[in-house]
Amino acid sequence: MIINRLLRKNMSPARIAGFVLSNFIGLAIVVAGLQFFQDVKSIYSDDDGFIKKDYLVVNKKVTSANTVEGKAAAFSAEEISDLERQPWVRKVGRFSSVDYRVTASVQTGGRGMSTYMFFESIPSEFIDVAGSQWGYRPGSGEVPIIISKDYLTLYNFGFASSAGLPQLSESFMGGVPLRLHVASEDGIRSADFSGRVVGFSNRLNTILVPQEFMEWSNERFGSSSVKDASRLIVDVSSPGDVAIGSYIEEHGLEVAGDKRSSQASFLLNVITGIILAVGVVITVLSFFILMLSLTVLMEKNREKIHTLLQLGYPLRRVGAPYRALIAWSCAGAYLLALAVVYGFRLSYLHQLEGLGGGHGNLWLAPAAGLGLTAVIVVLNSLAVGRRVERAWRISR
Amino acid sequence: MFENESIPNSEVWRSDVVFRRGERWLVEAASGGGKSSLCAYMFGSRTDYLGRLYFNDVDVSGIPVAEWQRLRRCHIAYLPQELALFPELTALENIRLKASLAGDVQEERIAGWLKELGIDSRADYPVGRMSIGQQQRVAIIRSICQPFDFIVLDEPVSHLDEENNRIAARMVMREADRQGAGIITTSVGNRLLLDSLKTIKL
Repeated sequence: MIINRLLRKNMSPARIAGFVLSNFIGLAIVVAGLQFFQDVKSIYSDDDGFIKKDYLVVNKKVTSANTVEGKAAAFSAEEISDLERQPWVRKVGRFSSVDYRVTASVQTGGRGMSTYMFFESIPSEFIDVAGSQWGYRPGSGEVPIIISKDYLTLYNFGFASSAGLPQLSESFMGGVPLRLHVASEDGIRSADFSGRVVGFSNRLNTILVPQEFMEWSNERFGSSSVKDASRLIVDVSSPGDVAIGSYIEEHGLEVAGDKRSSQASFLLNVITGIILAVGVVITVLSFFILMLSLTVLMEKNREKIHTLLQLGYPLRRVGAPYRALIAWSCAGAYLLALAVVYGFRLSYLHQLEGLGGGHGNLWLAPAAGLGLTAVIVVLNSLAVGRRVERAWRISR
Repeated sequence: MFENESIPNSEVWRSDVVFRRGERWLVEAASGGGKSSLCAYMFGSRTDYLGRLYFNDVDVSGIPVAEWQRLRRCHIAYLPQELALFPELTALENIRLKASLAGDVQEERIAGWLKELGIDSRADYPVGRMSIGQQQRVAIIRSICQPFDFIVLDEPVSHLDEENNRIAARMVMREADRQGAGIITTSVGNRLLLDSLKTIKL
């Protein structure tokens, strides 16, 4: 088209290439940073569906004094109420443990195994399992159980492989009934139950039964001695709060499970933030490069723009070649960035999958890049419209 | 029609003038008398005047930019003194640039006009390499290849000989008559040789 040829005269390919390159670099950093964050995040997330992220499991540090004196590191009533008074605490639940002997046995592949074990329970309100699966009706012969994933891992990769026993999958464990033999300390009262594993938890380092079962069975088989809770589950308002860490430190407590990963995920957040900031700054700079190039180009072509308008060309059509230039160069930079990020993702995906990550959201990062591109396109197009209008009246 | 403190009374400034379709006007003035300003006012590219300018009782100062563009495409043809041709384009490209906007001018008519003004052999020459006289002829053709109610020609024949002047005048009159349009032309000396011309002095 003649009009395109006219209006793109004086265009500097170097300047446009400079914009595409810088916009590409900025977008690639933003999109890659976000995508990597999405993919890595799942490694550190402790969501296991049974307890919410805002719950911390807290226990006292076990010292040699505890071992020597034979006194358990338990929480006293004052300590619990002190914890409950902290501003970041919503509610505190106690772990209760059994006051009797439990033996569990399981039949796998024709072989039987049996082991002593224990149960703990926490108030049901802290547990996120569909209501029908969790809970216990007194007198029933079936008990739902949540087992720490660590135990299964220990068994599968430590014990089973060295002892020549078959490895067990989670779904298999869910289907196999555990025979639970429960007996009081003196051995007078006893009963058999069938245990059903309803899930494996990453964050609860214990064997969990419903609170109802705990109360009912302790009453029946226990020696009715009252024990202090050795572990607490705490619902906190913001898990990242610094006050939590210092309180834990001060009182010689430990948070089970996620401490290390929460530090790592904090670092991940910070690093991602820095990378995104760098990417956004470069993108913003590229925006100004484009703005400047268009200003120079349209200023050089101002006379031509004015003449075309004098011929009666609609303003929109006079701006069109510049808008097309904006759209194409932005689309080019964006697609280039997507391609590079795709390659980058392929290069790390394999290793990340080995670590349990790599299943991040695939849309968020490209959408963020598209959003930035849209902002650049829209703002520059508006500027083009303004400059065409300015050329309408006065020619020099 | 126009008022301007620095310009003395004339038949236009500080007076009322009405141009009607079908009429042919010559605005005569000495160099620097404000002809080009008058044309620019009528074409919307300048607004530095006092007084009122109306199209069909519509004050032009209220006409928005988009409407001006429509007027320029469909109602007012304009040949500015500086011609406003694109020197890097050929004669034909310059004409087509305008003709394609209106869309009702056929290639044969353009070819006929080029031939009539004796520049058909130059059709594919870049305008920048043509003489001023040739450029004026290209600009005249470009100005008539659109629908118009008025055609404003600012010193259209300053570099044309009498022969070409007559041909150009005939062409403009023919096209204006066909469209029932009015012609307003300016001159400082060499005027477009139109028939039955009304003259006002600026």
